Amino acid sequence: MIERMVKLGVTLMVVGVVAALGLGLTYTVTRKKIEQYDLQVEAQACLSALPGVKSASEIKEDKQLSAKVRKKYPDVQKVFTCGKGYIFVVKTKGYGGPLTLAVGIDPGGKVRGIATVTSKETVGLGSKALEAAYLGGFKGKTAADKLKVGEDVQAVTGATITSKAVTGQVKQALEAFSLIEQ
Amino acid sequence: MNEETTGWQEFKKGLILENPLMVLMVGLCAVLAISTRVENGIFMGLSATFVLVFSNIIIASIRKWIPDQIRIPIFIVVIASFVTIVDLSLKAYFPPVYERLGVWIPLIVVNCIILARAEGYAYRNPVWHSFMDGLGMGAGYTVVLLVMSIIRELLGTGQIVLFDKTIISLGPFNPPAIFILFPGAFLTFACLVALLNRYKMRKKK
Repeated sequence: MIERMVKLGVTLMVVGVVAALGLGLTYTVTRKKIEQYDLQVEAQACLSALPGVKSASEIKEDKQLSAKVRKKYPDVQKVFTCGKGYIFVVKTKGYGGPLTLAVGIDPGGKVRGIATVTSKETVGLGSKALEAAYLGGFKGKTAADKLKVGEDVQAVTGATITSKAVTGQVKQALEAFSLIEQ
Repeated sequence: MNEETTGWQEFKKGLILENPLMVLMVGLCAVLAISTRVENGIFMGLSATFVLVFSNIIIASIRKWIPDQIRIPIFIVVIASFVTIVDLSLKAYFPPVYERLGVWIPLIVVNCIILARAEGYAYRNPVWHSFMDGLGMGAGYTVVLLVMSIIRELLGTGQIVLFDKTIISLGPFNPPAIFILFPGAFLTFACLVALLNRYKMRKKK
């Protein structure tokens, strides 16, 4: 009886190990390309987060600032700078998985725009909190705003969790901005 | 079991007689959803065929060592591995297509056609026959998918765009968008099944 169970387990394990090897190999081969593509998507989102910036060459990641901000606000992945302000790439948990947004803030500390980098939110429900109509509502917000769902921010019906995630991310970006400008 | 049949016969049955979509009517959800563009059809068809062929080959070649009690988990591991390979490769080399096909690529794992061929065919037949079976089923799937997406894209958008190039254009007319919406999927599919049934009835007489 035990012998048979061991035999089944070992068979399953061998299959699993071989499959994992194959997948690891594919992953190694495709990783570079996928990373490149992800960076491109991120740059695209940053461009639309800060109106007035026309090409990706104008914005640059400030690695020192990124590291400094990340120490206090671990959800902030990257800080991009350009003459027209900062772009914060913030990643937190949404409803369907990781949710990454790019938040553009002008030198005066006002939110100028928000763009989705990656999202796994449910199409038709959570995704409604990522549409321009909702994200546009954050324009002009500053670090002085409370930014709390239910108080000065409305949640989208059926997308409460996503709305909260978005609001929290904008708040973090603004706080990170204050940290930089101190 | 099917030792006496030739590989060619195994291939041919997937095209018409046992076509997974038109006759067995399995694995339809992805087809109805993504057949709005010919480009989607090509990549979805190729991806499913790739997974079918390779999972059939692997399962047929290790079938003697697979204990009966755990065959389903093993099938799933094999199928899921190939689907993940397709998923990663599409994302790396054809990102725009990957964006559009979205969740339908990972969902190939639970596509009944593939599990059915593993359980019903590859598990009981030699490697060569299983290879031809997978290829035939994949070809049958791809052909139907292509026919559907050609009809839907052409009628629904008035043109066929392939790799950013307009291949066919119907000229200035207002295309009925219903063809690229869900009702259009059902209408097109029903018409195709009706045509095939008519053909088969004619042949019987």
